[in-house]
Amino acid sequence: MTELAQNIVDGLGRGSIYALLALGIAVIFGVMHLLNFAHGELITITGYVAYAAFLRGASWFVIAPLVLGVAVVASMGIEQVAFRWVRGAPDFTLVLTSFGVHFVVEAAFLMYVSASVKNFNRPGWIADTVDAGGLSFEIFDLVVIGVTLVTLVLTSLLLQRTMFGLALRASAEDFDAARLMGVRSDRVIRGAFALSGALAGIAAIFWLMRAGQTTPGAGITPMLKGVLAALVGGLGSLRGAVIGGFALGLAEVLLRARLPDAIAGLTDGVVFLLIALLFIFRPGGFVTVSHAERV
Amino acid sequence: MADDRAGRTTAPGPAHWVSGLVPDLRRDVLFPIGGSLVSFAVLVGGGLAYVALVGGSSDRLVTAMLIDAIAVIGLQIYIGNTGVLSFGHIGFGAIAGYAFAIAAISPERKARWIPDAPFGLTDVQVSPLVAVVIAVVVALAVAVIVGIGLARSGARSGAVAASVITLALLFVTHEVAANWTDLTGGDRAPLSFAIGETLESRAPILAVLLGSLVAARLFAQSRTGRLAKAAREDNLAARAMGVDPASQQMAALLLSVVVIAIAATLRVYEIGSVTPRVFFFEYTLLTLVMLIVGGRRSIAGALVGVVVITAGRELTRRLATDGYEVAGVGLDGTPADWVFREGLPTVFLGLAMLGFMILRPNGLVDDWELDEWLHRRLTAEARPPETQPAPDAGPSRLLEADAITVDFGGFRALSAAGLRADSGEIVGLIGPNGAGKTTLVNVITGIVFATEGRVSIGSTDLTRTPTHEIARAGLVRTFQNLRLFSSLTVRQNVEVAWFTAERYRPDGLRPTVDQLVAAAGLWEQRHRRAAELDYGNSRRLELARAAAAAPTFLLLDEPTSGMSDQESLAMIEQVRTTASSVGAGVVVIDHDLGFITGISDRIYVLDRGAVIAEGSPDRVQADPAVQAAYLGSAADSIETQQPRGVES
Repeated sequence: MTELAQNIVDGLGRGSIYALLALGIAVIFGVMHLLNFAHGELITITGYVAYAAFLRGASWFVIAPLVLGVAVVASMGIEQVAFRWVRGAPDFTLVLTSFGVHFVVEAAFLMYVSASVKNFNRPGWIADTVDAGGLSFEIFDLVVIGVTLVTLVLTSLLLQRTMFGLALRASAEDFDAARLMGVRSDRVIRGAFALSGALAGIAAIFWLMRAGQTTPGAGITPMLKGVLAALVGGLGSLRGAVIGGFALGLAEVLLRARLPDAIAGLTDGVVFLLIALLFIFRPGGFVTVSHAERV
Repeated sequence: MADDRAGRTTAPGPAHWVSGLVPDLRRDVLFPIGGSLVSFAVLVGGGLAYVALVGGSSDRLVTAMLIDAIAVIGLQIYIGNTGVLSFGHIGFGAIAGYAFAIAAISPERKARWIPDAPFGLTDVQVSPLVAVVIAVVVALAVAVIVGIGLARSGARSGAVAASVITLALLFVTHEVAANWTDLTGGDRAPLSFAIGETLESRAPILAVLLGSLVAARLFAQSRTGRLAKAAREDNLAARAMGVDPASQQMAALLLSVVVIAIAATLRVYEIGSVTPRVFFFEYTLLTLVMLIVGGRRSIAGALVGVVVITAGRELTRRLATDGYEVAGVGLDGTPADWVFREGLPTVFLGLAMLGFMILRPNGLVDDWELDEWLHRRLTAEARPPETQPAPDAGPSRLLEADAITVDFGGFRALSAAGLRADSGEIVGLIGPNGAGKTTLVNVITGIVFATEGRVSIGSTDLTRTPTHEIARAGLVRTFQNLRLFSSLTVRQNVEVAWFTAERYRPDGLRPTVDQLVAAAGLWEQRHRRAAELDYGNSRRLELARAAAAAPTFLLLDEPTSGMSDQESLAMIEQVRTTASSVGAGVVVIDHDLGFITGISDRIYVLDRGAVIAEGSPDRVQADPAVQAAYLGSAADSIETQQPRGVES
């Protein structure tokens, strides 16, 4: 029982980061049907920014806002350089373009920085725990969950209460119709990348705090988790992406804790198997966005 | 060629078609084989010339390229024909690669890496050839299961679920390979052949390459391949023409897995060892980039992609090795710069993806095929065939939709509505927007299942029958919002439905494909892509395509929507001649009163999900309930609303 509660908090902490990444991926998928496999590059880029700032003696109070800002700028920059040229292209083209961005960023850091791992200090409190009712929780998990919830509430307000949010939701529903109603596509897409970058930036702060290092390929794992969470949640559904993120985090932690020892090493394999089964029997993911085909 | 020209200038009769499997011996068998030989010669010749010119390590490079080519051809067979973006094919490669290594590596070496392999596999050793067979069989077994899952998920082009399932396959195989160390040795202990036991000769690679080229082209031209491509273009329209996309996709998957599996065994045998990362994300992406950059919809594209990407990577690698300076960073080829040698080809790969995708979103050669191009050039222009006078229609049959009720959530779209049509007549279905016309046709054609009610032709019950089986039973429809197979040619569009007629309706009246195309007035455009047609021609093609399935009944959903009065009139004529040429009854939906009264023998009027009137055009027009429903409060003005251009 105690173990279960701890696992759940652990899973929610992990899932929070996935949810932020997945939400950013879903926002972009909504406006341009792009499954952004380059989303993880925001973590790679900010990782090196954190490393550079750390070398200059910056503390996490400086690094965190810096990471956030760089993530937003980088996200919008990638859109300007790469994705704006393939708007409306076939899905194959979009997927390949995002992989192209991934390769270029990875190789650039490989060539201009180094292939080796760059370390920086984690915050001092990262491993601290707090005891409550016989349970011991990592403060880090609680902070992550708290910040994520606040972010999600703010994002939700932004989407529900502002003109930009309305335009973005309308575009996600039917991009062409939204344009015909006077929504400015260019601005919405740039806004979506900014929002997506901001969400990735917050995720990056926590990801980097925990990792304490970066490499040219550091973005792959978070990218995959985010993409999977967005897919599991039903791509294009913002709520689904958040649910998918938490579900993926919980599934990973609970499976790792519960699987028999013989196959514990295969936890990730089991997670992927479950995802495959989910999509075989529920092709739309958890939250099915019904776009009834009109015939 | 002389007899072929003779065969083409006369009307191609049924004898022109060799069998149900392959439509045209010359176009679909001989030319593809010839074209494959030419591509093979160019690819291999070019590779060997490069080796002769450069020497040294280029030998291995060319060998690797040829193996990559086989793998990419395997990918193309599935992705190109079905339009499903698969991330998982290299996962099948991993399964085959490990199966091959475990079967072919000697027990002494296995005792070192995997002494505790399950099922006593440590002590097994078979010849490499047998090991390849085992690898293919194991990969196929997994492919059958994955294929059933893909079909269950409704795989089609653009389907996210299918891509996720295949991605999951890739990761599951990688996790198993990396963590089931008793079987695979995992990351730390790569299973490897003894030095000297690996693939020495290039002959097997060449044989497999040629074989897979021919197989891929023959498959693409076969009936199965063509139907798969139709479903790739428009899944629903294909089903409405009697195509079951799941079975074509399964065929494409199994063939592609055989090719990938053999490519994987060659890769393992050539490298001499296998580790989990040999068949993982990197190789998946590399092969996908090759395919998509070249042009995923053709074998020519696959080969061009393999060559362009291989050459680009090699060029950048040599640049990095031999020294250069760009943008302030340069090097002189000293060993310390290994990072650059690794990094630069990757940068090239990334920039190639970005650049080629931005410039040519459908790949460098798109769907161009060498043998199709040669065939067009080397075949004399044919004359349009004579249209034969329509033979007598068979015994008349009755289409019945009885007491159909459909609920969408809480909304009742149809309540006990229905219609009857005889195969000799044209029945109109009319009603204001939202009356439930399209829903009724969707129920009849199996696209929407009715909550209650029954659909049948003659004595055959079609209630809750899948769309493609309804089409095979003789009920074929067109769509309100045009659903052509847009990147197939006009002729190929008609051909898809014709296959259904040939296989499932052998007794129906069947004009040839060319006759149908000519009768629709599309002879000149028959080699154009459907997407290039103007609106009127697109409508005509859709009608011709539906007729090609030799239906007992044609269901036309708003065939004149968006047409001018003049075009509507011409459409009346075309519907009549088309229906009589295949002896089909017609149910036609429209909200254009003039068109419907001009064409129909009998009319049903639908309003708010129920039939409110039925009878001859005159009787229906005079019905007060119809006037009220159709014209609302201005009912009395129906007299002034004379049907356009139709003498009553």
